[in-house]
Amino acid sequence: MHSSMIVRVDEHESLRGEVRDWIRANHPGDPGWKLPQSALEVADDRQFQWLRDWQRKLYDAGWVGAEWPSEFGGGGKPRGTQRVIDQELARGRAPFLLNLVGLSWAGPVILRYGTEEQKRQFIRPLLRCDEIWCQGFSEPGAGSDLASLRTRARRAGADWAIDGHKVWTTLGRYADWCILLARTDESAVKHAGISYFLAPMKVPGVEVQPLVKMTGEGGFNQVIWSDARIPGGALIGREGQGWEIAMATLQFERGAAEGSAGGQFVSGSAEQVPSLALLAQSLERDGRPALADPVVRDRLTQFWIEETALRANAARARVPGLVSDRPEALPLQSKLASSEHGQALADFACELEGSGAALWIGDPRAPANAEWQRSYLNSFAMTIAGGTSEILRNILGERVLGQPKTR
Amino acid sequence: MNTAIRYDEEHALLRAEARRWLDERFPIARVRALADGAGEDPADWKELGALGWLGLCVPEKFGGAGLGAVHLSVLMEETGRRLLPCPLLASTLAALALGQSGSEAQRERWLPPLAAGESRVVLAVAPDAVWGAEHAHALLARRGDRFAIVPARAAGARIEPEVVLDRTRRSARVNLDAVKLDADAFLPGGADEVLRKLTPWACLALAAEMAGGADALLALTSAYTATREQFGKPIGSFQAVKHPLVNVLIGVEGLRSLVYAAATALDEGDADGEALARMAKAKACDVYVFAASRAVQLHGGFGFTLDCDAQLYLKRAQTTRPTFGDAMQQRRWLAEKLLGPAA
Repeated sequence: MHSSMIVRVDEHESLRGEVRDWIRANHPGDPGWKLPQSALEVADDRQFQWLRDWQRKLYDAGWVGAEWPSEFGGGGKPRGTQRVIDQELARGRAPFLLNLVGLSWAGPVILRYGTEEQKRQFIRPLLRCDEIWCQGFSEPGAGSDLASLRTRARRAGADWAIDGHKVWTTLGRYADWCILLARTDESAVKHAGISYFLAPMKVPGVEVQPLVKMTGEGGFNQVIWSDARIPGGALIGREGQGWEIAMATLQFERGAAEGSAGGQFVSGSAEQVPSLALLAQSLERDGRPALADPVVRDRLTQFWIEETALRANAARARVPGLVSDRPEALPLQSKLASSEHGQALADFACELEGSGAALWIGDPRAPANAEWQRSYLNSFAMTIAGGTSEILRNILGERVLGQPKTR
Repeated sequence: MNTAIRYDEEHALLRAEARRWLDERFPIARVRALADGAGEDPADWKELGALGWLGLCVPEKFGGAGLGAVHLSVLMEETGRRLLPCPLLASTLAALALGQSGSEAQRERWLPPLAAGESRVVLAVAPDAVWGAEHAHALLARRGDRFAIVPARAAGARIEPEVVLDRTRRSARVNLDAVKLDADAFLPGGADEVLRKLTPWACLALAAEMAGGADALLALTSAYTATREQFGKPIGSFQAVKHPLVNVLIGVEGLRSLVYAAATALDEGDADGEALARMAKAKACDVYVFAASRAVQLHGGFGFTLDCDAQLYLKRAQTTRPTFGDAMQQRRWLAEKLLGPAA
């Protein structure tokens, strides 16, 4: 152990400058029509194509998968590189990366559990957004209790035949591949009979039906698998190893394990309080700018402290000496804490807007074009997906605080 | 806001040493015995001097260890865990203020014996709630718009122990108005200037101590809820118990992160140092009191008794809150910085 266990941000100054210059020169600007706020609500072909082009451009410049092995299409750069790139993308208000499931969940899973052949086949196309990924985990009867899933995979000659019903499938309509959980052994106890597949979506028997979110936007889907045939080689890991790999996937999904190809998945800056302060400056409350109201100022400052604490958490998580008492605490609470903070912040913004918050996108008088209302509605995706806040509290209580299991 | 954190092997060593020593020396039964009796034991103070902790942040040329804010945070966090029943914090604040704002002669005169544990100096910003004053040799006390070093036995000095809620941390009301002081007793700068330099460090030290206390409460409470049975199962298996505990955990984690980000910034002279330290103090006030209230509540009827250790921390949390500004006061300062002057 050397005198400093973390790389100071300034040591990346030249990389930082390079990314910053690149964004300045290549930022695609405002397309002039409504962009989604994240990959969760990509609903039309124009949005899809625009975002796909953006990720390709970033990949070709070396800003996606910078730390992934170069033999499979990554940049092969040292640890810490991607974080600097991501920070600059956020600071430069770059659009988000489209291939969320591929970059953050499927990719890391393939790198950890896949065969050489699977890595060669999948990594580069997902980094470059040539192939889109979706996730087939949740079912109508298997949400928080994921292990009760009923989708079945049975041997059909050299192939697998898939039957089942998956829901909340982000990017399902555009996806080429799906990380799919299915039961391969009906006789095994709950968790043991599940296997994990890298399943093609563009095969007969796969039907994607759109679901409409409470914002009125599409972008996620349900997928019906009816005797869909996928190749024998679509299995990743061993038969019956699916639960273990699914748990690893959720660690990636919750930001509890490092390994994402990087990039940001929501447009705009990670620092939301300055935007909120600007909003408060522009709104009038009781005959004066909301920003002059001492109660508003106090609330804004509370959010500022929370936001800073979350960023300091990310910094401390990289310092082994400061997490040794509870190594799992910071990674496991990361999504929980940030999603609840984001939701409270968006709710506060709507409250500040007063009756203006009743107006929706399309009304010219909607404050900030109703982006805060939209953010607030969308924030529930973050407190539900990838383990609800309630499930995460159970996990933290049990794994970090040693509490007996909740049954 | 720069939230970089530096923490190296030396910091980890100090933590291991402090934790081991404090665990051995201050089992909760001894803390309780001292709280019920004299409040402190002079032998402990001597040991603190011998360990070098009284002079942790005193420059080496004045007999101290010359260490910075991260070391200070480590020590405060560990002492906070054990409700250290002697005025290390009050002495440390005086040492910091003297080091930052004392004249060369004052530092030469007072810092070496302070660091060695031979001469106790404590900080008195206001006349009441002066921690550790009863057994002090001198007070670094506010006199009008200046700070002065006032010998505790000087003619006219009145130091009256207070009846306090948190008996692990004794304080006194001091009246030094009648003490005649030479010009060289006064620190060179004005009181506001002394406090301006000291406040970020004081906020940090307090926040770190409070983080340690909150963390200890989490351990205390989760150990209890994991074993206490009702309805035939450990109560920690009920989500109504488990989830508030996790809320405490999330608060403590964020607090510790702010503490070490603030400490790193202060050590590096970062412009955000004071804001981060005040954020840490603001959060510490909320988190520590919340952790303590959940500790009492989740211990049930036992939690309501004097026998349950939770009350010791609850009292510490409540009484540390106002020192150098509570959460609302910190946020008012922060709002000026972030949002500009209030209308």
